[in-house]
Amino acid sequence: MTETPKRPKSNSRLIALCVNGEWHEVTVKPRHMLVEVLREMIGLTGTKDGCEQGTCGACTVLLDERPVLSCMTLAADCDGRQLRTVEGLAEGEKLSVLQQAFLDQGAVQCGFCTPGMLLSATALLERTPKPTTDEIKKALEGNLCRCTGYNAIVAAVLQASDQGVTPLMK
Amino acid sequence: MNQLNYVGKSLRRKDGPDKITGRAVYSQDVKLPGTLVGRLLRSPHAHARILRIDTSKAMALPGVKAVITIDDTKGIKHGFVETPRYPPDQEVLARGRVRHVGEEIAAVAAIDQITAQRAIDLIEVEYEILPAVFDPLEAMKPGAPEVQPTHPKVRAEVPYSNIGGRTATGWGDVEKGFAESDYVREDRFESHLRTHGYLEPQVTLAHWENDKLNVWTSSMGTFVKRAKLAKVLDLPYSAVRIHKTYVGGTFGGKIDLYSHEYCAARLSMLTGRPVRIVATREEIFSAYRHGQPLIMEIKTGVKKDGTIVAQQVRAINNAGAFRGSGVVVIFLAWGFTMIPYRIPNLAYEGLSVHTNNPVRAPQRGHGCPQIRFAIESQLDTIAEELGIDPVTIRLRNARKPREQLPNGDNVHEGGLIDCIKVAGEKADVVRRYGKGRKAGGTVRRGIGMGVSGYFGGSLIYPNGSGVIVKMADDGSATVLTGAIDVGQGSETVIAQIVAEELFLPIEDVKIVSSDTDTTPQDIGAWISGMTYVTGNAARQAAGNARDKMLQLAAQRFNCGVDDLYVADKVVYNRLDPAQSMSYRDIIALSIATRRGDTVIGEGFWRTMRDVPTHPSLATTKGRWSENYAFSCQTAEVEVDTETGEARVLKALTVHDCGFPVNPALVKNQVDGQVSMALGHAFLEEIMMKDGYTLNPTWLDYRMPTIHEMAESDDADVITEEYVVGKPYRTKEVGEGLVSGVLAAIANAIYDATGVRLHSTPFTPEKILKGLRQLERERRERA
Amino acid sequence: MILYDFDLERPNTLEEASALLRDKGADARVLAGGTDLLPNMRVEVVRPATVVSLGAITPRDPVRETDGTVRIDALTRLATLEGSDLIRAACPMLAEAAHRVAGNQIRQMGTLGGNLCQETRCLYYNQKHDYQFKAPCYKRGGEVCYPYPNNDRDTCWSVYMSDTAPALIALGAEVEIVGPGGTRRQPVEQLFTGSGLTPHALGAGEILSAVLVPPAEPRFGWGYHKSSRRGGLEFGMAVMAVGLTLDGDGATCRGARMVIGAVREKPIRLTATEQAMTGAKLDEAKIAELAAAAAKEINPLPHHGFTKSYIRDNIKIHMRRVLSEATARARGTGTAENGGHHD
Repeated sequence: MTETPKRPKSNSRLIALCVNGEWHEVTVKPRHMLVEVLREMIGLTGTKDGCEQGTCGACTVLLDERPVLSCMTLAADCDGRQLRTVEGLAEGEKLSVLQQAFLDQGAVQCGFCTPGMLLSATALLERTPKPTTDEIKKALEGNLCRCTGYNAIVAAVLQASDQGVTPLMK
Repeated sequence: MNQLNYVGKSLRRKDGPDKITGRAVYSQDVKLPGTLVGRLLRSPHAHARILRIDTSKAMALPGVKAVITIDDTKGIKHGFVETPRYPPDQEVLARGRVRHVGEEIAAVAAIDQITAQRAIDLIEVEYEILPAVFDPLEAMKPGAPEVQPTHPKVRAEVPYSNIGGRTATGWGDVEKGFAESDYVREDRFESHLRTHGYLEPQVTLAHWENDKLNVWTSSMGTFVKRAKLAKVLDLPYSAVRIHKTYVGGTFGGKIDLYSHEYCAARLSMLTGRPVRIVATREEIFSAYRHGQPLIMEIKTGVKKDGTIVAQQVRAINNAGAFRGSGVVVIFLAWGFTMIPYRIPNLAYEGLSVHTNNPVRAPQRGHGCPQIRFAIESQLDTIAEELGIDPVTIRLRNARKPREQLPNGDNVHEGGLIDCIKVAGEKADVVRRYGKGRKAGGTVRRGIGMGVSGYFGGSLIYPNGSGVIVKMADDGSATVLTGAIDVGQGSETVIAQIVAEELFLPIEDVKIVSSDTDTTPQDIGAWISGMTYVTGNAARQAAGNARDKMLQLAAQRFNCGVDDLYVADKVVYNRLDPAQSMSYRDIIALSIATRRGDTVIGEGFWRTMRDVPTHPSLATTKGRWSENYAFSCQTAEVEVDTETGEARVLKALTVHDCGFPVNPALVKNQVDGQVSMALGHAFLEEIMMKDGYTLNPTWLDYRMPTIHEMAESDDADVITEEYVVGKPYRTKEVGEGLVSGVLAAIANAIYDATGVRLHSTPFTPEKILKGLRQLERERRERA
Repeated sequence: MILYDFDLERPNTLEEASALLRDKGADARVLAGGTDLLPNMRVEVVRPATVVSLGAITPRDPVRETDGTVRIDALTRLATLEGSDLIRAACPMLAEAAHRVAGNQIRQMGTLGGNLCQETRCLYYNQKHDYQFKAPCYKRGGEVCYPYPNNDRDTCWSVYMSDTAPALIALGAEVEIVGPGGTRRQPVEQLFTGSGLTPHALGAGEILSAVLVPPAEPRFGWGYHKSSRRGGLEFGMAVMAVGLTLDGDGATCRGARMVIGAVREKPIRLTATEQAMTGAKLDEAKIAELAAAAAKEINPLPHHGFTKSYIRDNIKIHMRRVLSEATARARGTGTAENGGHHD
């Protein structure tokens, strides 16, 4: 019989995250990023992992209502905190007005940037219900999109904030 | 009047709800129990002989389940192109030699990322460093380091080294043409190295189970991936299943077979466990395939009125270490030269030159933005010399509807002339052109125009698309299609066509897509033919199911099929309004009376039905496409003449895509391409030194952010129509529009400043240098 | 993903953090917003065995002290600064500089102290070294300099790219540092060594605790510009910050601080140009002359694809505009647009 390997020294810790209103307890190592914990441990894969470098915004989530990059956030630093991900934007089957506006304006193509965009824009609208185009751009400048050319996304935020933009698609 | 309920309407995306709620499952989201993590060992050298690989220490590391090198493969080669002239040229892992930094040498599968990385670090490789060459002009010289021997057939034609392929073609007599011209000019242009910038990284999960390989991989053509993967693994195609996933952007970068896809599969076969390999963003930037940098020499002769008499074009491609799509882009650069304008005498040469750079892939437009930038820039210069405005010179040379192309193709109802006219009027080009330069002040505006033409759905494996429409008992329909939705909206477009043909509410049309086991073969989302090819197959399949049902109803009503009409899944007899029958009842009747026929419609389509194969890449002989799309784009720029900083304020795209099945989705494509062209024009550049990539991150590879996007308007020139039950012709709209607008930006910068830029990107530094040169010339004249 | 294991400490006070840092020695790093340290750990520019996170410490809101000094906790988020009424009123240049940092998420995460303590940058070492540039460079403890192969001086010509540091220096701000010996204060400029290898002059166990911005003198005006190719999500090609005061005549410069960041190993004060400016009448011609002098005085490192000559060309023009804005503000004639943010 082979010898049992020595148990490694562990620096893991148990943390609790309140994600979209539900508490999850997970055991994480210091090196685990929030995006890994959300996607791999909690199973919420709506948050996308685009670059791991903090440069694309696809992994944006709301941490205590502020948009942050989950690929550059230590999960162990988030113990006890509130998180919102794309899975938490709709109430049951009822889409948020912003989600509906993304559909109506054709602001979604491949969809990979969409969760991050939605969360950045949600944070904006919760703080600034009627943002100007400049404010929208400033809020979304950290979210890259390669498909849409952004104009439809700006239109979607304007539609969601009831600023005279009507649906492009039926 | 052709009444349509779905086709031609801007319907919301079918896949939209999944994507805005986080439910959409991309390849990186698929989870299987027991999955191992794979990683690749890549070459740290641009060119080296591999003297020894020792994987024993990696194998001995606890947690490592398998390590493979070239010795663990069947040694079967693959290539983006696989033709008799250009046979497969690349192995799945390096054999004895590496030819670019990042080339794959070995792969490991381990229980987690850290163990996999440690195992990679423990593989010992001994190299003998070889001289390397990175610049195509250097690589062509006799005695240059040999990356690949010059193609044997090319060796007899030209004396250069490292030539992977050559395209030589033309017609008429260019020398005679230049002699007959009133004005001849020669220019040299360069387009730099850019990448696709798909947000979803390259990722593959492979699981060998019960003699079957199941694969989830981020791709733009599952049937191409299946064919290539099965081949290098020496498996029957039927033993490989590529599953459907959502795909986070491709833009040309996810059609080649990548080493990591093979390695994930092979490692799974060796370990019996699922293996996932995710490329880091640095790997994608520094080892994966980018687009094609071209050097273009253009000589053009014209009559006084601007009529092109002769054109000589030479395109040199920095093709990287293996063939990739390098020999395709030099064919395509010819094609994109000859589509929009009549060129009575043409001499074209394209050279694909191997260098110790990573391999090249198609990239949205695949040669079109580069060559249109060159030709359209030169055309504006010629127009100015002749005192002609940019609209007139383009109208003078633009192809007319139903014109025959020199390669035997026909442009059918091609609407280029209308595109140019509408763009010229909408952007008020003639009145505004030339004003910017004369204006005072340090912030100047300019307007420019560019034209392009594009093919659609050419014959490349798998050449055709099939579609199956299955009626369910309740009269709703399930569509089986191999079409892959990479964001362009193919599922929505196909659903619209099926709903139209079956007179079904679109909610009753469900799509099952891009799974190589359950859906019919499909051309894929990479040759700009899905709406035409797969769309016509879907039309046929739905029509086939509809006809079966209508025939049954006609029999029952004792009338002709033409006497029937359908509303809300109920078939009525026009002659006798009392007679009606629901789809549900017809399907039940079919099962009862037609030996169980559950009503399945079948459709298939292929372009160029009378042509056996793609034209020759070397000679361009053979027909190429039956769907030529045309466009004319304008750009309005603003240049700060003190700093050289420039930006696009407004872009206009007037295009002939035949007709839009979904106008909003077409607009999506237009905006995305304008944004990508902005990146090409001003921002994006893969910086390399000695084969190493200096900026493998989105911080330093500057894709446009939301701040850079310009106002983007578009207009359709409608040249074709959709009639239920009849084949239709749509044209490309997802690639070519990165081209005219790039040229328009270059021309607009000239209009604003008088600076003619001959190379992309249009950096502030280049613009400022040009302005200073003009100032010096002005002073010298004074 | 960080591919090695490290320990994490989460002290409740800066003093505890300082003690932990001192105990752990050179193997420990302090983490505030994480937007600089964590990417650097991922590419292993740094590889601390212990990370001391300040995540458990809540910063106080910026306050104006009785002498008019604005006190900003080092842990204040950049987003807080750009939105703070106090900061926008008392030191709008700092609000503007914070507004120009990266993208919104980074500003929501990153702190002012972290922005000042960010590592220098270089295309070569800010990436994974699995197979590219495998041999470590000087900064990583090796024996090579990739961008400057002739660099035999065992130094590192990387660039310090903070957007807020030039503004703070131009405002004459100080930092407060907590360390084993207690608390000390020093001008922001003295935080920097000028060496790309170890850009910050912080001793073992020392942590920034606050930034202190002095009250503006009468007839003070500021100008700030970050030159970059893209809007947002980017470090600067050059960052220009000027703070100046005018004499009672509203034209003669009484004193000035002129700073350029993102072109050298530390933010550079253009002392010669500052001297030339002092006592000069700041009319259009003089401002152009001073901007040209500034472009000449600075000796930028070519970086991130920008050549030395273009960086200078760009500075010459934008510095002129920055000086004009600063002068106009000092005269009280600044327009509404350049009085606040200009997006």
